[in-house]
Amino acid sequence: MPVLALLDPRTTRRLLAVLAFRAALAALAALFAAGCAGSAFTGSSRGRILAVGAENEYANVISQIGGRYVQAVAVESNPNTDPHSFEASPSVAEEVSSARLVVQNGVGYDSFMNKIESASSSSSRRVIDVQTLLGLPDSTPNPHLWYKPTTMPVLAAALVADLSAIEPQHAAYFRANAQSFDRSLAPWYAAIKHFRDSYPGTPVATTEPVGDYMLEAAGTRNLTPFTLQADIMNGVDPAPQSVTLENSLFAGHRVKAFVYNEQVTDSLTASFLDQAKNYRVPVVGVYETMPTPGYSYQSWMLAEVQALERAVADRVSTEKL
Amino acid sequence: MSHFLTPVFEPGFFESTTVHVAALVGAAVALVAAAVGLFTVMRGQSFAGEALGDIGTTGGSGAFLIGVGPLWGFVAISIVAAAAMEMIGIQRPRGRDLATGIVLGAALGLAALFLYLDATYRNTTGATVTILFGSIFTIAGSTTPVIIVLSATALAIVAALYRPLLLSSVSTDLAAARGISVRLVGALYLLALAISVALASMTIGTILSTALLVGPAATALRLTRRPGAAMLAAAGIGIGATWLGIVLAYDSYDWPPVGHGWPVSFFVVTIVFVLYLLSGLPELWRTRRRRRVDRAIAGEPQLAGDG
Repeated sequence: MPVLALLDPRTTRRLLAVLAFRAALAALAALFAAGCAGSAFTGSSRGRILAVGAENEYANVISQIGGRYVQAVAVESNPNTDPHSFEASPSVAEEVSSARLVVQNGVGYDSFMNKIESASSSSSRRVIDVQTLLGLPDSTPNPHLWYKPTTMPVLAAALVADLSAIEPQHAAYFRANAQSFDRSLAPWYAAIKHFRDSYPGTPVATTEPVGDYMLEAAGTRNLTPFTLQADIMNGVDPAPQSVTLENSLFAGHRVKAFVYNEQVTDSLTASFLDQAKNYRVPVVGVYETMPTPGYSYQSWMLAEVQALERAVADRVSTEKL
Repeated sequence: MSHFLTPVFEPGFFESTTVHVAALVGAAVALVAAAVGLFTVMRGQSFAGEALGDIGTTGGSGAFLIGVGPLWGFVAISIVAAAAMEMIGIQRPRGRDLATGIVLGAALGLAALFLYLDATYRNTTGATVTILFGSIFTIAGSTTPVIIVLSATALAIVAALYRPLLLSSVSTDLAAARGISVRLVGALYLLALAISVALASMTIGTILSTALLVGPAATALRLTRRPGAAMLAAAGIGIGATWLGIVLAYDSYDWPPVGHGWPVSFFVVTIVFVLYLLSGLPELWRTRRRRRVDRAIAGEPQLAGDG
């Protein structure tokens, strides 16, 4: 105030206006930072191994194997983001550059990780690429590998190997965790087997291939042409022929369930959803990233199969988990 | 009949609801674009039309962000932008392009932010392609009546203003001398232009919308100088190009990559462009003949193989 008193009123007003504007800018910046804080890395790891999972389902498995010796961070966990079109922010780059272990999906799904890793190369960082781990070619049409029932046990074994190499003194602990993780997948496998035995060859429709590996394991017949699923996944307009066919699946009651990707949506998928509801085709919501909170990888996968069974057996929709 | 036409119209073409909606919306939009576009070409305001289309990107991406259909974003932003251009001074030829360019730059900067937020904070897939290149095959049935009403509004404006608009497009001084409020006519015309650009963005996208606005009108004005006839010709060319584009896009289902189909906007814009090139042939032929006659009169020796 004493400083302001020295200035004439007009200058004071202008100064105040400038200050108010700067304060508003600062408030905006703080809001923005708070909005991004979900993915921001919190610094100190208190002696734990820093590990990054490109998608939160992988981060979840890392933390189950690594237990108390690992701090796992997820790059993608926002249910309102379509991971196919995700672009990494500088805070993600910081997480990756300080991580000792990184797990990424591959098949072009999270290629932004490769860019970040090459930008901050580190010889001590271990990168597990699930596509490479499973020996899949780049031309693999469906990148959603975490819905494949065989994927995570293979990843768990690789995690044990890498974590044990980083901290050999805890190798037995990691191995024990992996064993109990593998055992905990049993209810999911049992649910898939039960569905396959009880409802063999169930016809279903989808919007996008996210859950296709699980649907395949459950013995369903996906009547949606893969070209339509790929177009929706890649964000281009599908052919009118495919749209007509998809609509006819609902109108003709040719499918028992509509498996709807809640994370890759547009006006077209919304119109399919309307059609499905019009013709009382039960809807099963599936996700690109693990719905949080309250789910682990295993309980999420089990919930998806149970939702599918409810749709087919009781004609009940589970739009959102 | 359907037998010998099968190579042209794939099975299911005439039964497809998607095609019905696309054909109806495409025709309405082409009609409006032809009527408004004729004046755009006569007034030399193609750049304003292009700018309004580009600015639609901001509206469309903003609409996705707040969860409404892109049409509302296109219409709202292009009317606002048209009003801004009018106020900054689109009437003065010198300030016009500058004002338009400044508004355009700022708006496209916002579009960059909105498209980023669409992809990262709202799970909208394919928003960018839909906004930039149009999605005539995925127009929701509920949007169709809105498009028809907007088309009728733009056509009504052009019909009501036909004579004064024509006069002021040919000569503002003459129009002013006749007691026409050139500024008011110009402003109302800009409103019609904004609506027609927004509509064209629905069928072929924001960055291609000018092609439908200016292309058929420019082609028609090469064929005839009479405004009424030119408007009819432009409508015919626009609707023809749109419908042929829809047929070819439907057929392209069987072209590589099989099962996907090429974008409609590619076909529409290409057809419009080819027609424009073809419409220049008579004039080209006339000039060459005139030159040859001139040379013959001047007694120049003819080169073998010339002409």
